Amino acid sequence: MVDEKEKIVSEDMGVQVDKKEDIEMRSFGTIKRWATKRSLWMVHYCTGCGGIELAPLMTSRYDMERFGMHPMVTPRQSDLLLITGYVNIKTLKRIIRTYEQMPDPKYVVAFGSCPINGGPYWDSHVTINHLDKYLPVDIYIAGCMPRPQSIVKAFDDLMDMIQEGKADGYLRYKKYYDKYKANQEKIFRKWW
Amino acid sequence: MSEQDFVERMAKFPGSEVKLLRKGQIAMKVPADKGHEAAEYLKKMGFTHLVAIEYVDWIKDNEFELVYNLFSYSSKMRVFLKVRISRDNPEYITFMDLWPVAMTHEREAHEMMGIKFKGNPNLTPFILEDWKEIPPMRKDFDSRKFVKEKYDSIPFVEDEP
Amino acid sequence: MSQTKTIDLFFGPQHPGITGNFSVRVTVDGDTVVKAQVIPGFLHRGFEKLMEMRHWIQGPALICRICVPDPDHSETGYATAVERLAGIEVPERGRYIRSLMLEMSRLSAYLFYFGGYAGSIGLYTVGQWGVGDRDYILDLFEELTGARVYHIFNFPGGPRWDTPPGFEDKVDKLMDFLEKRLKEFDKLYFNNRVFIKRARGTAPMTKAYAQKMEVTGPNARATGWAIDVRKDDPYAAYPDLDFDIITQKEGDNYARVIQRRMEFEQSIDLIRQITRKLRKMPRGNVRVTPNPLHWKIPPGEAYGAVESSKGELGYYVVSDGGIGPYRMQARGPSISHGVQVYEEMVVGQRVADVAALMFSLDVCPPDIDR
Repeated sequence: MVDEKEKIVSEDMGVQVDKKEDIEMRSFGTIKRWATKRSLWMVHYCTGCGGIELAPLMTSRYDMERFGMHPMVTPRQSDLLLITGYVNIKTLKRIIRTYEQMPDPKYVVAFGSCPINGGPYWDSHVTINHLDKYLPVDIYIAGCMPRPQSIVKAFDDLMDMIQEGKADGYLRYKKYYDKYKANQEKIFRKWW
Repeated sequence: MSEQDFVERMAKFPGSEVKLLRKGQIAMKVPADKGHEAAEYLKKMGFTHLVAIEYVDWIKDNEFELVYNLFSYSSKMRVFLKVRISRDNPEYITFMDLWPVAMTHEREAHEMMGIKFKGNPNLTPFILEDWKEIPPMRKDFDSRKFVKEKYDSIPFVEDEP
Repeated sequence: MSQTKTIDLFFGPQHPGITGNFSVRVTVDGDTVVKAQVIPGFLHRGFEKLMEMRHWIQGPALICRICVPDPDHSETGYATAVERLAGIEVPERGRYIRSLMLEMSRLSAYLFYFGGYAGSIGLYTVGQWGVGDRDYILDLFEELTGARVYHIFNFPGGPRWDTPPGFEDKVDKLMDFLEKRLKEFDKLYFNNRVFIKRARGTAPMTKAYAQKMEVTGPNARATGWAIDVRKDDPYAAYPDLDFDIITQKEGDNYARVIQRRMEFEQSIDLIRQITRKLRKMPRGNVRVTPNPLHWKIPPGEAYGAVESSKGELGYYVVSDGGIGPYRMQARGPSISHGVQVYEEMVVGQRVADVAALMFSLDVCPPDIDR
């Protein structure tokens, strides 16, 4: 079965899919997704305090590289954007810039309570409380801060979601691009 | 020199109000126009380390209080040099000539409290970006109301059924 | 040089050579920096405003988030300020547990620092080792407080509870291990030719400059200026502990890293002194807390400072007798060495040393932004 997500991609690219190609597309998509989930490269960008738990995760004790994950210095070669903690409006601007530079497919993982609903900074004048209003988030990790084990679990879940085609944040961003942009523009007075 | 000696020496400064708060911490209040002079006086006494410039909004008195937190490494004493300026026209003079690092502290006070420092060439946006409201650390800035109006009013991007 | 030959480089915030979420705009002429402007504010949360809307007892939950690699110093700074304002005396055992936590926190911050600076000059193994060893400290923190990073443990009035049975032995065992590891770090890192060649003579800071620009902490001590809040304005159990202020002479990148390495050894020694004392002390009495539901602090103002792993970290607290602080202001150590000092010192350096200097000064962006 060709799921909805694949169709949207094809429509976006203006590709006419007939039945034979459809089958190829499906099997190719499975392989592609399998390959993608095994080599997720994340952008090296610590947006908040959660970045401190990425260091144990990247180094010898929890060793993220065994999942094929690796920090990458440029957004243009990365698949994964980690929002590690609260998002200040000044940072949100850079996050959106970074996110838009990343090629498809791309995934967003939000760390900690702050991107969910503001966490301890719910009444702060500079932190946006719900990240989901400005960027599509694929998976949230609750807690402050999330332990490396829970981050590993989240990555594991993300891989399953990618395999099943449920990690569709980048497609939602395309689909509701106008709505996301409208929300972003309400926050920023000027873009640059 | 004991704490009491310091208090006595500070009290000699014209117009000053000196109080020993606790062991090693002294508060010294001076009129706004004498602030710079008092700072020089204290620096000569050995209070050479400007820890920070603290700013307090006393909205009931319609005044801002600038607290120059000074420390003396030789006598291990700390003094809070306090000056009060009017809230309507918050303007003060820079202390950059005494402590160059005052520039950063003044920049912050300018941004967070809206106090202008005459003589500081670098009162540019520092921490906030595109801030058009009243300075956020003022007491009359209601952060909860602001959050409700600005961030919570934005709708969720919902999926179509 | 004509103007057209210089270019502006945006160094951060999305950059691996930056300590957190921070940005520097460097103007380079060829390979040499001619001008730099730091752009902080990406981590601003308005703590000072938020504290005014919280109760006194809610403070520690928020305050530890000011400096992420070194949260215990933030908690203790706030606690010290509130205790001074309210006139609370912490029991002896409480003060010792507090010092134990602070020194452990310092060790973990320094291990992070070793890895950070080594990473900026291409020695990645040090980072793997440093962060790996840091995790053993975090395990002990977890056993003591229940959390890895943010402990929310040092309340005004003392630590929340006593050490679990056998904790002192575990700490001592870890200290033996870290001491052994430090010898291996010496071989791998501090005597490494790459490190010595890259760090020696790079970006020297003189003692006079450090005094002029109010630089504090290990950066000031690396220039030969013997200042230490633990000695100058004692808090926790430091008045009872036996230690000297360690200094270096040169004030360059090399001296700054070696300064931390020597202090690492000193912290191990301090922790051993503390555990020896803790074993002899009767257990149980660690804190005095006023009724947390109806906790009022007398009006007035106080300042409490601690020697964090980056320098003097202080809190100025103003009370008007209400249920929460009327005003709270933090003095982060990086406000001096992370903004003006960095801007001035980076001029004349090679592009490759922009990150190295930032790591060697140990700039902590959240305590500039708050």
